[in-house]
Amino acid sequence: MADHLLEVQDLHTVFPTKDGVVKAVDGVSFHLDPGETLGIVGESGSGKSVTVLSVMRLLQRPGRIASGRILYKGRDLAKASDPEMQEIRGEEIAMIFQDPMTSMNPVFKTGWQVGEPLRLHKNFDAKKALKEAVGFLHKVGIPEADKRADQYPHEFSGGMRQRAMIAMGLSTGPNVLIADEPTTALDVTIQAQILDLLRKVNHDFGTATILITHNLGVVAGMCERVMVMYAGKVAEQGPTEDVFANPKHPYTWSLLRSIPRLDAQEHEPLRAIEGLPPDLINPPTGCPFHPRCPFRIDRCIREMPPLEPVGPTQLATCWVTQAGRDLNEAAS
Amino acid sequence: MLARYVVRRVVASIPVVFGVTLITFGLLHATSGAFVPGLELNPNLRPEDIIRIRNNLGLNDPLPVQYWHWISGLLHGDFGRSLVDGSPVLRHISDRLPNTIELTITAILLGILISIPLGVVGALRRGSVIDNFFTFLSVAGVSIPSFWLALLLILLFSVSFHAWGLPWLPSGGAESAFGGGDPIDRITHLILPATCLAFVYIAIWSRFTRSSMLEVLSQDYVRTARAKGMSERRVTYLHALRNSLVPLVTLIGLELPGLVSGGAIIEIVFSWPGVGRLALERALQYDYTMVLGLTTFVALLVVVGNLLADVIYALLDPRIRYA
Amino acid sequence: MAVDQTTITQLEGTPVQYEGGLARPAQSYWSESWERLRGSHFGMFFGGVLVVLAVIAITAPLFSAFVTHLAPTSVNLNDSFAPFSRAHPLGTDELGRDTLTRLVYGARVSLGVGFLTVAIYLLIGGSVGISAGFYGGWWDDLLMRFVDILLAIPTIYLLIMITSMLPLPIGPIIIRHDAFSLSTIIAITVWGTVARLVRGEVLTVKNRDFILATRSIGASNLRLMLRHLLPNVLPVMIVAASLGVGQIILLEAALDFIGLGVQPPTASWGNMLLNAQSYFYHSTSLVILPGICIVLAVLSANIFGNAVRDAFDPRLK
Repeated sequence: MADHLLEVQDLHTVFPTKDGVVKAVDGVSFHLDPGETLGIVGESGSGKSVTVLSVMRLLQRPGRIASGRILYKGRDLAKASDPEMQEIRGEEIAMIFQDPMTSMNPVFKTGWQVGEPLRLHKNFDAKKALKEAVGFLHKVGIPEADKRADQYPHEFSGGMRQRAMIAMGLSTGPNVLIADEPTTALDVTIQAQILDLLRKVNHDFGTATILITHNLGVVAGMCERVMVMYAGKVAEQGPTEDVFANPKHPYTWSLLRSIPRLDAQEHEPLRAIEGLPPDLINPPTGCPFHPRCPFRIDRCIREMPPLEPVGPTQLATCWVTQAGRDLNEAAS
Repeated sequence: MLARYVVRRVVASIPVVFGVTLITFGLLHATSGAFVPGLELNPNLRPEDIIRIRNNLGLNDPLPVQYWHWISGLLHGDFGRSLVDGSPVLRHISDRLPNTIELTITAILLGILISIPLGVVGALRRGSVIDNFFTFLSVAGVSIPSFWLALLLILLFSVSFHAWGLPWLPSGGAESAFGGGDPIDRITHLILPATCLAFVYIAIWSRFTRSSMLEVLSQDYVRTARAKGMSERRVTYLHALRNSLVPLVTLIGLELPGLVSGGAIIEIVFSWPGVGRLALERALQYDYTMVLGLTTFVALLVVVGNLLADVIYALLDPRIRYA
Repeated sequence: MAVDQTTITQLEGTPVQYEGGLARPAQSYWSESWERLRGSHFGMFFGGVLVVLAVIAITAPLFSAFVTHLAPTSVNLNDSFAPFSRAHPLGTDELGRDTLTRLVYGARVSLGVGFLTVAIYLLIGGSVGISAGFYGGWWDDLLMRFVDILLAIPTIYLLIMITSMLPLPIGPIIIRHDAFSLSTIIAITVWGTVARLVRGEVLTVKNRDFILATRSIGASNLRLMLRHLLPNVLPVMIVAASLGVGQIILLEAALDFIGLGVQPPTASWGNMLLNAQSYFYHSTSLVILPGICIVLAVLSANIFGNAVRDAFDPRLK
């Protein structure tokens, strides 16, 4: 097996609460190769954010990694010490967050914050770091970057702040950039600009990117590969084109059918996914999607399917497709 | 930007200053009337002398006229004269104010130095034995009357230590009657009152730092800071502490107005020659004009203190200035 | 059957909800808060201590008649600075007065002033806050500016200024250094913060739909304020009250201690400490005991107050 840049194996992350233990991430495995873009898709509560926060070891208390391995260049981050993680974060793996309004420290100037990773990891002095920060702010498309660097975050618009966050992430030249719903909090027009920027970053700097989103359209336009998550588990993963053309998990299939399409057949109804997302403290038996699944068979209620290859390029956790049935055909 | 903010705040406090003078003056005249202590009882004065004296003091003018005289005096920095010894109120204030400020500032510095580390440790070790202990201490701290704590400290460090032949601390005053004026002597006199006053500040501020710190530690930008790969120490002391100090500065700023009044009771217990003790001494002698002048002066300081606190707040949190 | 009953209760519940239920926090708010308060064993324990102290204060004359057999002011110069004994369980002071009896009577002053003052300042602060927030405009400006002014004058100076002028005849009544007058005076100097708090709460409630709805059915302003706004601001007032008692006890004791509060020979914890200050070398217990009483009362009030705040403060949820 070829060595991947980042490989997560059977990750379990739990949040003990007073009502019980929430299994936020329940046996997730995936990998990322250098320069690649991976999309992680799922509804809120599916564990996509917790998965990457586990990789960064930035879980809020009382969350913790219960088991699993997170191999980065062969080192297991799940077992790395705090100082080791500090070397990795910002230097090797950078992360940008959903809400640029709250993700920057309000009491420090933007340029100072963007240059901070350089001071931390590259031992730049304040002046050099600031100069470099201005350069990066310019590269991510912030006009008058030298003046902007001298302003506080609250003087920036949401889109500009997210650009600044990206500049902050890029400044040290990391190998992996994790973007956790980077466009959710922004206006639609700004969203497109930020996605263009992320695409450009991936192309120009060769930074492998993990993009977390609940928007399948974003994944289609950006990611080479996609992983769909449901209830803390992987539903399906594979090359984006293949997954979209021929989904191997009923959840992916339902998600794709719930997107409005311009090229839809006349009078074809838009389908919402019926039912509610599962309770993570007492998940359903067997496959967590079975209560909402139109293709359910008895085995789904009893037993959780493993993540197995289905078709030449995809992996899925579904008894139905693993048994060789095709969802598009079965539905029609 | 900041200048305009300051001007706006200054303008907004003018009516407050005016109102303060109206209330203190009104209250004084509603309660004391035109009573001059000892005047009517003096056997050497004939009734017509008394009337003349009262006229000279302006006490027979209509109230609005008296108020006008008083407030125009205030505008020129004249806080009136003592009814007991005839000396200007402002001279007494300028004698006593430095002592008061010396005491309060020492206590506030002690309070800051001790409370911030306590609060940070409490927040970082939330729920631990040490955190619970600090919590208990702070609840106890605000429940102990400062003047009783003062008595206990005197009982132990002055009375008992003296009796046991140990080096003891003076129980009152700002310097020794003989050999005063030496800084060491002054500091030994300052220790007990300042500790006493700092105790309450520590109780309140450490709690506040803790909760403020806990709130900040759960903010997104703290996660960003961690994602940059900095040490937990840098996250805590640079990114989080700076933010949690913003509200703490407001809280300490709230003490700024109390800089003169906050230690009044402590001054009284320790016979510290400050403004608070002066107010009590003169109140007990029915020196109304003195009490009126002192109260007005202290209230004006409160208004100025509030103003200063707002400005410091604006300096620390750049978002304020544009609000 | 069970299903039917539920339906009936719901149907019966509906009209109530339209009339009053919308105006105040849902009925369950009070029972939920109460449940939370009862769940705080630490808070309830100190609440109990407070109740015991209150009972002792109320029954002080009985205590003096049947337990110590001494009045708080009965002097016995042959028995000054007596040590702890069967006749004087906590000793005597310089005039041979029984310390235990005096402490019990002191509880009357401290707790009486504590609770009464809080009641008065809630009344003033609540009325001012509700009317300022409700009417808004120039009335609100006027009242709130007045509060700014009042809060600018340090309480202790204001109190020294007023209490040093007692006794003070106002019309037919004479205001003296008694517990009732002191409560009124303290309340008059400290209601400002409550008024601010209540006004803020009214402003957030005022524009909610139910007030507009009640207005649209023609309710009078007074009815709106008392029936609809008051229940909504009650939680913040309860919180302010529960945290206020301890502060007021401290303030009153300080006034007594500087000689401007309750005057001897009436016993109060504060003036007992003032007295003890002169006899450091004679009796340590005279300095320690009244202080312990104050700390016990204030600590109980504060801990119970914190528990009440945690249980009732709608903003903490």
